[in-house]
Amino acid sequence: MPESHAIAPDHLPSEQRAEAEALFTSIGDGAISTDAFGRITRINPVAQRILGYREDELLGGWFPKKIIAVTPDDTVVNLIDRPISKAFLTGHSISEKMHYRHKDGRIIPVAISVSPILVDNKPLGAIEVFRDITLQEEIDRMKSEFISLASHQLRTPLSAIKTYSHMLVDGYMGKLTATQKQSLRTIIGAADRMNELVSTLLNITRIESGTIAVTPKQVQLYKAAEEVLKELSLPAADKAITLSLRCRDKSRATIKTDSLIFKEIVTNLVSNAIKYTPENGKVTVTVRPRAKDVLMQVNDTGWGIPKYAQDQIFSKFFRAQNIVKRETTGTGLGLYLVKGLVDALEGTIWFKSDEATGTNFYFTIPRKTKQAVRPRRRRPTVSKQTTNESN
Amino acid sequence: MPASNSTSLYDQLVRVTHVYLGPAADRFIARQVQNHLNKPPDQLSKEDLRRLIDWIQVAVSLLTEDSEIVEEYAAQLSKLAQSDGTSKKSR
Repeated sequence: MPESHAIAPDHLPSEQRAEAEALFTSIGDGAISTDAFGRITRINPVAQRILGYREDELLGGWFPKKIIAVTPDDTVVNLIDRPISKAFLTGHSISEKMHYRHKDGRIIPVAISVSPILVDNKPLGAIEVFRDITLQEEIDRMKSEFISLASHQLRTPLSAIKTYSHMLVDGYMGKLTATQKQSLRTIIGAADRMNELVSTLLNITRIESGTIAVTPKQVQLYKAAEEVLKELSLPAADKAITLSLRCRDKSRATIKTDSLIFKEIVTNLVSNAIKYTPENGKVTVTVRPRAKDVLMQVNDTGWGIPKYAQDQIFSKFFRAQNIVKRETTGTGLGLYLVKGLVDALEGTIWFKSDEATGTNFYFTIPRKTKQAVRPRRRRPTVSKQTTNESN
Repeated sequence: MPASNSTSLYDQLVRVTHVYLGPAADRFIARQVQNHLNKPPDQLSKEDLRRLIDWIQVAVSLLTEDSEIVEEYAAQLSKLAQSDGTSKKSR
């Protein structure tokens, strides 16, 4: 057995050693320490319970071989990709989610935090603390299922309301009076708003629960923005607002990002601009390709954001007083959602606003957005014997 | 950078490491230098190498179970840190 100096070095007074031992043993999460050769020097009772091993089965064993990290589909993780290797490589604490293989073959999702043990700046080993997050993963999965179900259940009746209202307005079910048509248009408008609200709430739930899927593909940002402006041309025309799109170099405006999220961001910013710009105003979208990212700008000649409100503009449910007086239909969720969506694409968002001249929103999208689709969660299964038994 | 007829300490470090880690040596050492010393590889000094040996040793310890190999590798690095830091090019 290697000499143990990972948790309570021999040179420490016996009280401190006892204190360190007690802390290690009683900690509520699994804890394993190693020496500088990666051999296990301590394993607390919680770690033994999570992994299904007795202390004597692990002590002195080589950590990467005894504690097997796998992917959700049970492929062994490369040694270099394990948090403990990264902690030694960087010299810093590393926190990651991973899966460990239980002695009986089950795959246990765990949240790991691992730090090098340093004495006089010299690495003497590492200590890894980890938590079984099976329940948390299950709750996340149920939350996702609920979001999907709620989305379907709320949208289906809305589609029926819209479809039949359109059929009535168009005269498919007999001639209507002007007043009846006007009432139906109000119903359609309300159904549209409710549909938007459902989408916004679902997106916010996905962002907050970390389940928003980012699927990067080559996207022509100019074209995507053009499509958004086309979709919003009617509400803009209702207020005689001029919509325009500019791009200095269209050929460099194609990047790898998530098209749907990008369009959702632009849609929110442009529809906000239309909503908060008086009649005969202008809304301009500019696409500026740069070396590492693309800078998007949405400029309006609207009422602007008062100075006092500027710090809170990305907060949930926040609406500035000057806007509430003029426009009563907003929810205060649009910019909160936009901020979350820009974050999901690893971009940044900011704005400049003046109550006299209007508002400029800027956001950047990196040329390559990483894929961030949560892996399909699988229920832990008793499937195969662990290879550790033969070690 | 001025031309030199000697192999840099960094190159020698990579060469020693290549024996143990194969083609991963260059990337492994570059990352160690970057992460622990935060300086360009060509500025690696013997003093830096002495500071780096412990980190290299623990990192390699998680790539191989054979502690004798790890100790042998660490001994080679210590020897390099104690040498004059440069050697004539063999080619």
